[in-house]
Amino acid sequence: MEDDVVADLVKQLVKRLLPSPGNSTEKSSSSSNGEQQQTTLDRAFQYAMRIIGSRIAPSLASDEVAMAESIKRQLVQEGRSSDALTFADLHRRFASLSGTGTVENRWAVLYLLRAVSEDQRRDAAETKRTAVPFTSTLSGPAAVGGLQALPKAAEHPKLQVSQLDAPASSSPRSSLRNGSLRLPRQQAGSSDHGPQGGVLILSKDGDNVKSIAIREYIEISQVDSEVTEAALVRDVVYACQGIDGRYVKFDEDQDGYVIDANVKVPKTTRVLVRRLCEVGWLFRRVRNHISESLEDGPLEAIGTVGQAFCAALQEELGDYYRLMAVLETQIYNPIPFMSGGATCSGGNFLSIRRLAVWLAEPLTRMRLMAVLVDDCKTLRGGAMAGAIHMHLQHGGPLVRSFLRRLMRRVCAPIYEMIRRWVLEGEVDDLYGEFFVVAQPVKAEALWRQGYQLQTSMLPSFIPEPLAKRILRTGKSINFLRVCCEDQGWAKAAAAAVATVRASANGRGGLGYGETEALESLVAEAAGRIDRHLIQIVYNRYKFRDQCLAIKRYLLLGQGDFIQYLMDLVGSELSLPANNLSAFKLSGTLESAIRASNAQYDDGDILDRLRVKMMPHGDGDRGWDVFSLQYDAREPLTTVFTEDIMATYLRIFNFLWRLKRVDHALSATWQTMKPNCSVGRASAIKGDGVKSELTVVLRRCQTLRNEMNHFVTNLQYYIMFEVLEFSWANFLAEMEVAHDLDELIAAHEKYLSSIVEKALLGERSQLLCKTLFSLFDLILRFRGLADRLFENAREMEARNQNATRQRPKRDFHSGSFNGRKSSMSSLSGDFLTSISEEMDACAVEYSSLLEGFIAQLPVQQHVDLKFLSFRLDFSEYYTRQHMSMSTTPLKFRRTSLKI
Amino acid sequence: MDGAGVEKARETLNLAHAMVSTMRTNLDRQTVSILVGLCEHGVHPEALATVVKELRREGAAMVSRSKLETA
Repeated sequence: MEDDVVADLVKQLVKRLLPSPGNSTEKSSSSSNGEQQQTTLDRAFQYAMRIIGSRIAPSLASDEVAMAESIKRQLVQEGRSSDALTFADLHRRFASLSGTGTVENRWAVLYLLRAVSEDQRRDAAETKRTAVPFTSTLSGPAAVGGLQALPKAAEHPKLQVSQLDAPASSSPRSSLRNGSLRLPRQQAGSSDHGPQGGVLILSKDGDNVKSIAIREYIEISQVDSEVTEAALVRDVVYACQGIDGRYVKFDEDQDGYVIDANVKVPKTTRVLVRRLCEVGWLFRRVRNHISESLEDGPLEAIGTVGQAFCAALQEELGDYYRLMAVLETQIYNPIPFMSGGATCSGGNFLSIRRLAVWLAEPLTRMRLMAVLVDDCKTLRGGAMAGAIHMHLQHGGPLVRSFLRRLMRRVCAPIYEMIRRWVLEGEVDDLYGEFFVVAQPVKAEALWRQGYQLQTSMLPSFIPEPLAKRILRTGKSINFLRVCCEDQGWAKAAAAAVATVRASANGRGGLGYGETEALESLVAEAAGRIDRHLIQIVYNRYKFRDQCLAIKRYLLLGQGDFIQYLMDLVGSELSLPANNLSAFKLSGTLESAIRASNAQYDDGDILDRLRVKMMPHGDGDRGWDVFSLQYDAREPLTTVFTEDIMATYLRIFNFLWRLKRVDHALSATWQTMKPNCSVGRASAIKGDGVKSELTVVLRRCQTLRNEMNHFVTNLQYYIMFEVLEFSWANFLAEMEVAHDLDELIAAHEKYLSSIVEKALLGERSQLLCKTLFSLFDLILRFRGLADRLFENAREMEARNQNATRQRPKRDFHSGSFNGRKSSMSSLSGDFLTSISEEMDACAVEYSSLLEGFIAQLPVQQHVDLKFLSFRLDFSEYYTRQHMSMSTTPLKFRRTSLKI
Repeated sequence: MDGAGVEKARETLNLAHAMVSTMRTNLDRQTVSILVGLCEHGVHPEALATVVKELRREGAAMVSRSKLETA
């Protein structure tokens, strides 16, 4: 049915197009001519039907708009812009019609129109051209120059006829299939016209040999190919957009676009097409990546940077599409034959070779994109930006500019994150892409643990110091906001932005490649915010005062206070640890404060001072568990963390112990002094017991003196060489600290220098142990001395009782002889035991001290040299040590005693 | 086909013809309508264009032949 209609229409068409029997030609012909006419019509009809039947599957995707565009362009090119406008208008109206009675297949109509008009134009041009030889055969070549895209061969119609001996009409199929063969067809058509002129030119034109050769080459090349170049070009352009063409299809096995193996094409063409279609292959990759990331996967998987990357790629693909669209419109422009010459080169047509030129640049770009896509598949956030940045280290200006453009897009989210972080302290990072990571921590750990630099997400174009600075700036803001509840940072940030903007002359935008802008912004913001923070810490939270208070109370800087405390608390602390009452001790602390100059200190600071009982075990005395504590409170706990306070506690315990030993020795002195008379009295008497007592007392005196020498010097060293010296350094560093990190570092340095020099560090553990046993020994000695003097006092008291009973004048007479024997036996036992103990104590002490002094030089600290010099200024101990080491037996024995 | 359809068909044809004349393609109205009809019946336009061209050439050849004859 359909076919019938078509046949009918074709018949009508044939009738209309061929001169009808009613024509002027008919008049002059005979009646047999009429029949001939009929046969001609029939033949034409058959022929037309054959042509129509030959083309069933269109190889072109129908695109009405592109077609209309192509027609318009054609019109404009011919210099008929008004016609082009008219046409555009007509087409618009034509396209807007819809419903019954309108044309559905508008594209076909347009295509037809264009094809017909093109044929016609060419015909017209040809007749014009072929008309030339009629008038002036020799001017042929001259006429060529001005005409557009016309085959030179047309000037040699004779040749044409001989070459294309098979007229187009006899083989419509082949001529149709070879769309590009239109020219020969044309020439065949025009060959009817000027056989006369051709011969002349042929004989005259030397170039003809070349012409003939070219023509032959075309023939040969076309023989091999079943497919026209135009069709291949079309397919390649499609393949470049990831669409399978008619001949060029995606082959999974070869992983690329190839010409269908069943289609006969020359190998060179096949290779060339395959090479060109690399663009298509790459394009598929890129497009797949984009669609996978943007449409299928969850956004968390790629993050904002990944999205930006995809968007940038998409934009690039947009450019690519534009190019493809341009190329596509040019597909429809027929390829003039490779006849060479200036006439052809200017035309807007595409051959495979031209396509290769066109695609060269997109190929590089597409390759880059594919490489990036492959590289970045698993990466996210800053890591992805860093990876792309790595590719930027490339010499090619094209590559660089392309990547720079891409990077600007890709990095936009990162820079936005940096901006928000530096100026607002917000981690604007939903998908974990930022190189600053926030951790949920308590306010006091905010500064130290709250935010961390994640190096894996740090893009390589942001240097590490800058990243650290960025981190600190945001941290400062957060610290101010959360811990200090301060709003002043906003003003500082705004000022920083204003300054940067002013210095950058209005282009304050952050972006990739503007590292300087970023640096200046960060530097400005960091400077201002840090300054603000430091001011807050100094002024509002009185950091300096706090440090001073800690030094005064925990590091025993306030001497009178410590003295009072020691006096008051001493008796209390001799009790077992579990009998102590913290409440009572707090009261003692209060009274110590009130009794000393500490009472004039700031009340707020005194409030923070507390008594702390350390966890204690069995048998611990009060001395072992008592300590002072200073509550730094928020937000200074950032500086005075628990660890730091624990170190302070250690130092305090050490100093407290030292102080206690010192105190004990002083107390011994106190007891010794009034007992001086006892010794003197007994010395005078020359009594046996007394003299023994005198010896013991004397021994005790020297030992105490020795100990005192040691303790005083040690204390001096700790107080002046260690504490004050470190404090002075700390103060100086505090002055120059620009930010909290530096402040913290300065404080830690201060503390660690104290620990190190006060022999509390890791390296001096042995020394410290010796020192502590020395302290214990001194305390033991104190007990010993106390007992000794108690006894001596008792003796004295008894003596005095005895003398008081007698008249005063008999004071010096040895009248207590009756009691003497009993007493002397009692005190004799006691004295011998105590003198033994004292001896042991002295030996142990000297050996311990020996060890201590011997170990001192092992320590690396320069300052310890002073200590060792002070302790052994007369080289007494060195000499003793020398003599001891020469008599190792004795030394060994004493050391065994330890 | 109802009245409106006919009207529309005519308008379409008018437009097509206008376009044809804009493009200076020497096709008369009738031919255009035939061609559009063929297109609507799914004939490939390229083939159709070839037909038109071939027929025209044939016609021209005939004319020239007859001219020669008369000459």
